[in-house]
Amino acid sequence: MNVIGLTPIIPIVFAFALPLFSILIKGNRKIIQFYALIGTGLTLISSYKLFQLGYSSNVPLVYTFGKWIAPIGIVYEVDKLNALIALLTAGLMFLIAIYSYRYLEHDEGLEWYYTLYLGLEAGLLGVLLTGDAFNLFVMIEVTSIAAYALVMFYRDRGDSVFSGLKYALIGATGTTMYFLALGMFYGTFGTVNFADLSAKVHGLSFPVSGMPAGNIVITSGIALALATWAFLIKAAIVPNHFWLPEAHPAAPSPISAILSGLVVNVGVYALIRFLYTVYGGSLAPELAHVVSLLSVIAIALGAVSALFSALMMNVQKDVKRLIAYSTIMHMGYLFMAVGLGTELGLQAALFHLVNHSIAKALLFLAAGIFIHAIGSRNIEDLSGVGRRMPIATFSLAIATLSLVGIPPLNVFFSKLLLFNAFIDKNLILAWILVISSVIALIAYMRLFYVIWFGKPKEDIKTKEPLSMSLTCLLLALTCLAIGLMAPTIVDNFIAPAAAQTLDYNSYINAVLNLLSKLLH
Amino acid sequence: MNEVITFIWTVIILSLIATVIISLYGIARRPNLTKKLIALTIFTDTANLLVVLLGYRLIYPVAPPVLPSFSKEALQTFVKTAVDPLPQAFVITAVVIGMAVNVLIAFAIIQIYRLYGTVDARKLGEKQSTLLKEGGI
Repeated sequence: MNVIGLTPIIPIVFAFALPLFSILIKGNRKIIQFYALIGTGLTLISSYKLFQLGYSSNVPLVYTFGKWIAPIGIVYEVDKLNALIALLTAGLMFLIAIYSYRYLEHDEGLEWYYTLYLGLEAGLLGVLLTGDAFNLFVMIEVTSIAAYALVMFYRDRGDSVFSGLKYALIGATGTTMYFLALGMFYGTFGTVNFADLSAKVHGLSFPVSGMPAGNIVITSGIALALATWAFLIKAAIVPNHFWLPEAHPAAPSPISAILSGLVVNVGVYALIRFLYTVYGGSLAPELAHVVSLLSVIAIALGAVSALFSALMMNVQKDVKRLIAYSTIMHMGYLFMAVGLGTELGLQAALFHLVNHSIAKALLFLAAGIFIHAIGSRNIEDLSGVGRRMPIATFSLAIATLSLVGIPPLNVFFSKLLLFNAFIDKNLILAWILVISSVIALIAYMRLFYVIWFGKPKEDIKTKEPLSMSLTCLLLALTCLAIGLMAPTIVDNFIAPAAAQTLDYNSYINAVLNLLSKLLH
Repeated sequence: MNEVITFIWTVIILSLIATVIISLYGIARRPNLTKKLIALTIFTDTANLLVVLLGYRLIYPVAPPVLPSFSKEALQTFVKTAVDPLPQAFVITAVVIGMAVNVLIAFAIIQIYRLYGTVDARKLGEKQSTLLKEGGI
């Protein structure tokens, strides 16, 4: 069996089989949990194999569904970039599945929760692995539908249904924009395969799909603008951010961790694919002008969202809303780095994406332990709870310090890379990074002070739930380990991935070689 | 004859773009959640129609993309007259996915009506802000 095709198939099969299986076992919660752990665990093993394959090969690997090679059929194309993010996704999904069991102990409908959870994982892996722009659209929709439904998981609570509805309306509008962009790409280039599109954009010849028709500069401009708008909505960059601070807190805490840690990455990853693989490298002057204009817009909107949400973090009363605004801030950094268009910028973006996913998931999970114990999201209600739960508080401390960028934790090193990348472009960008980090530090310290030193309102007798705390501890130690080994990780994993992403020729040739074998 | 076809073609494209803009206005500004959903379906359908138009060929006679027999002559007439089938395949996928999203949104609107007794986004916004001040779970 080929592991590339198998990776997104495992969670989707487990997801579709779960509702029937749960009738068979009469909704036994322990068996359902075991089933979900097997599903996510097998996906993790498969993604690890994929990671090894991707890093042991110098060229991107191509998997053809039913031997239909691109541009006729859909292909999955794995390079180091998506192999790394796929491993991160599968690892976090597995750990959060362990955490979910205790968190949802008082709630009905665990089987539906895990059906959507596994569907979400399949969608995320599909987005990462696909080498086809239309399949990317389908997989974004799979991810989004699962995410909308999981935000509405507490369906008897008005706020969660209403914010899920807002998320669904704006998300559906965004994906339709992307669909329009796809129509334009197809009308002009006669293909929706990434390798084929990239070849056509760079003026290389590619068999089967013919030559581009019409004015490629204007259609590229409009289609890229529409696609970028869709990705801005998915990644919640100002002014398309308004759904995130409501949707992420309304979901159950493990789902907030997934939404803030992994689902927002979809927008960043898709933008990297479009700006670096399809429209990367040296282009015709008019086309290069369009792409640089788009990059400037991405940088400007990223900078605005970083500053805006750093300020908004300080006025929040709801602990999960505070963390949700921090997600917008970090997405702003990522868009700034992606917009730079340099190799250092891409390295910084990739390393920061990995670090942010781990630290943000950890922060939501640690806060979730307190929310689970107290039953409130208000920061004032959580005062003093920290001293009852030392492991969770330790995890919270590591996560907040890491996200602010205190050495030797992981985000410090990626912020250092970001700083170096920004300073090459413009000093103002580097200052925005520093200032927004400092403002965020104040908000985090206020949260931490209340949780550790605040006076408890009543005597809290809850014990620390071990399965939840140990998951957090593991993630906290991962943060520490990545921080301590940062130079090795950058040299061995991040730099090769960035270099391979910039090399669009190898991406095209991987498909072209298979195609020429078939034609001759 | 040619100018007439170009004129009709332009009118169709422009009216579709106008529909896109009106439906976006509907999604953003109509306070009634059900009308927002209707505007969203208009938006997705217009996008689908635009993509179907891409595959259409301005030729006469035009035929559906069906190959009646596997011979050279049949293939020649097929290439001359058939429309591009791939945009239709895109659209059928998008329609199916859109149905799933619409059903989910419709469920959410019904659930909101059950919980609050209103589907007016302005009134719901006021209720939300008071709820968050109390800091409920």
